Amino acid sequence: MALLEVDGIVKRFGGLFAVNDVSFDVDTGQIVSMIGPNGAGKTTAFNCITGLYPLSGGDVRFKDVSLLGMQPHRITRLGISRTFQNIRLFSYMTAVDNVMVGEHCRMHAKVWDDLLHTRRARKEERAVEARALGTLRRLGLERYADVYARNLPYGLQRRLEIARALASGPTLLLLDEPAAGLNPQEKVELMGVISRLRDDGLTIFLIEHDMRVVMGISDRIVVLDYGEKIAEGTPKEVRENPRVIDAYLGSGASEGMRSA
Amino acid sequence: MPDQSDIAEPQARVDLPDTGTQTRRAESASVFWLVVVGGVLLMLLAWLLPWFVEQTASGVGHSPMDVIVSAPTGVGWIAIWALGIGMVLLIAGVAYDAFAVNSGRVEPFRWSRIRAGIALFCAACTLLVLVLVTSRSELVFGSVSANALTDNAVWMMLAGSLLLAFAYGLRPWVTSHGGLAFTAVAFVIGGLFPLMFNQAPGFVVWGAQSAGIYVLLALGLNVVVGFAGLLDLGYAAFFAIGAYTTASMASANHGLHLPFWVLIFIGAAAAGLFGAILGAPTLRLRGDYLAIVTLGFGEIVPDMAQNNLFGATGGPNGISGVDSPAFPTHGSSLDFGIFGINPRPYYWTILVLIALVVVLLRNVERSRLGRAWIAIREDEVAASATGINTVSTKLLAFSIGASVSGFAGAFFGAMLSSVTPDNFQFAVSVTALTTVVLGGIGNITGVVVGAMLVSFVIFWVLPELQGWMGTLGKNIGVQSLGTIQYSDYKFVVYGLVLISIMLLRPSGLLPSRARKVELETGAESEPLAAVQERA
Repeated sequence: MALLEVDGIVKRFGGLFAVNDVSFDVDTGQIVSMIGPNGAGKTTAFNCITGLYPLSGGDVRFKDVSLLGMQPHRITRLGISRTFQNIRLFSYMTAVDNVMVGEHCRMHAKVWDDLLHTRRARKEERAVEARALGTLRRLGLERYADVYARNLPYGLQRRLEIARALASGPTLLLLDEPAAGLNPQEKVELMGVISRLRDDGLTIFLIEHDMRVVMGISDRIVVLDYGEKIAEGTPKEVRENPRVIDAYLGSGASEGMRSA
Repeated sequence: MPDQSDIAEPQARVDLPDTGTQTRRAESASVFWLVVVGGVLLMLLAWLLPWFVEQTASGVGHSPMDVIVSAPTGVGWIAIWALGIGMVLLIAGVAYDAFAVNSGRVEPFRWSRIRAGIALFCAACTLLVLVLVTSRSELVFGSVSANALTDNAVWMMLAGSLLLAFAYGLRPWVTSHGGLAFTAVAFVIGGLFPLMFNQAPGFVVWGAQSAGIYVLLALGLNVVVGFAGLLDLGYAAFFAIGAYTTASMASANHGLHLPFWVLIFIGAAAAGLFGAILGAPTLRLRGDYLAIVTLGFGEIVPDMAQNNLFGATGGPNGISGVDSPAFPTHGSSLDFGIFGINPRPYYWTILVLIALVVVLLRNVERSRLGRAWIAIREDEVAASATGINTVSTKLLAFSIGASVSGFAGAFFGAMLSSVTPDNFQFAVSVTALTTVVLGGIGNITGVVVGAMLVSFVIFWVLPELQGWMGTLGKNIGVQSLGTIQYSDYKFVVYGLVLISIMLLRPSGLLPSRARKVELETGAESEPLAAVQERA
């Protein structure tokens, strides 16, 4: 049984099939990438998996539990957390507070604990703050703990979003274009961060445009085009797949490459 | 695979400003200035009060200045002159300080010490006058016995000069511990308030019934609007529910007579319950839509009360004859009876309620729930993807906010001993919202200050203004000043307050930390003017 089983998911917006009958598995401990041209439905598929969009058809199973109709926070609690393509940090909270929000679903303080500041709440609060600082350190952000998220440079904001996602203690991490807008040096560092997270036991599923990043770290690649899965396999298999080359470079391109 | 050692070091070696501590300092500095400006205003008001006060039949006024004319001993004469000179020096000193801070000059700390010394000297002179007023009143003020306005002037002068002495004498501490300093000042002055104005019970009534109630309403509304970012335009509805619940359980209306101390919690619980009932179906709405639904709810509740819902609300006349609260010791050997019409116990009761609510809300603000509220305010989608149950968290904000106003409502009903639908009109919601916006959305200290300012202007200054202006008009020969109904202009005041605060200081008098940064670093979207300028 795979960790995440995506089984024929369909997402329709009116008459448009943004995602049409896509199936794939993500196995424990792997880095799986989803690629495809702009508008191929990658982010829509992400939103379907994380519960932001209700599915029009198909099923998503995580640890053999169906995520159908589940609210996003319940899915996060099950162990899937994500980042966003256009960074969605809590801008006017400090970096450490952002990560502490990420710990929300792991905390047990009830309303009364919070109102009365009970010993239990104080103890948990201290523990969570220490853990949040640890998460920041893990991503090399400890210097910026007290800086407002919006004041961080772009590259660090991307990294802080990963830190926040890690704070909920996920088993599966979904990254939506983590390398977008980063310079080459930052991209190299990001690849290091991601593969180190995998080595720590996390399973990672990411959307990415940058082929160097994708080919460099992925164990498996899923290719979408016009909402449909056109290929799946190891980086090498995908790179040589004629349908992928057609999708990226236009039909006939694979013919040309073969003859060249 | 890249070298893993370079992960630990962040690539961007930009030196970011330490915005965290900077803004914390800024907030505390504003508490310092709040105390200083409050002190100066109190002193000026005390000195100028006689300008607005009717003279007595014997022709002798009540002002400390009149001591100069009528004091036979010379002591009062000297004290008043010394006080006047000290005050002028002090105000000039404060003005220079403000100017120096504004132009970025750093002056030696000893200057602050000197200002504190002058303030203490003023306080001493005032004490001397106070002694003269109370012990030798006929000598100093002719035939006038202890007089409310003299008394007020002396106490205001004393409070003002002591505030200045405190702020300047302990300036570094006040600046670094703004919140604590403010709390200390607020509770000392707040606690002594009924004793200071013992000759002006009307002012104490104002303190309990207007200032106290609106501070509670502002604190509750701040949870909804400030922390969770949900615009609530019908907040008065929950206030009404608290008041009606209490009134119907402590009056002849249903023959129920539960004790006040139980009822305030029942009122709060009822309001909180209705907050949840209203919230459950509507909190999926966002922004403007939620505002409109709450606006509707705010109109429905007083209308239902007006129409004598289930015959339980007494129609337009409301419920009257609500039991007066009894002291908690009622029935034991230490029985002080009931509060009755003495405003002081009511005043101290609401002060305790406010303290309780402030402590609870401060706790929440720094907890799991408080962070979740702010996260929802900042980005609801990200909050839900981060594992926050947005619906139940918003529901809690609505419910907790509503129960604070239920507290206020229960107290209000007991103090007025009657509740009528007129007490809960849209104006109440508008006033509460104005106090929150003026004080600083999301900042507990700020909204308390905002509520006190607004209720002072709307419920004390405006009603009194006609009398004051009448006297002033008589003194300066413009009779028409006394013929204006100044309280008719309260909505003009709301409008002016809202417009000027949005233009001059959009995050309020005492902004919350995050809003302050928002203000300093510029808003999310750039204004049209900036874009046009570049083009």
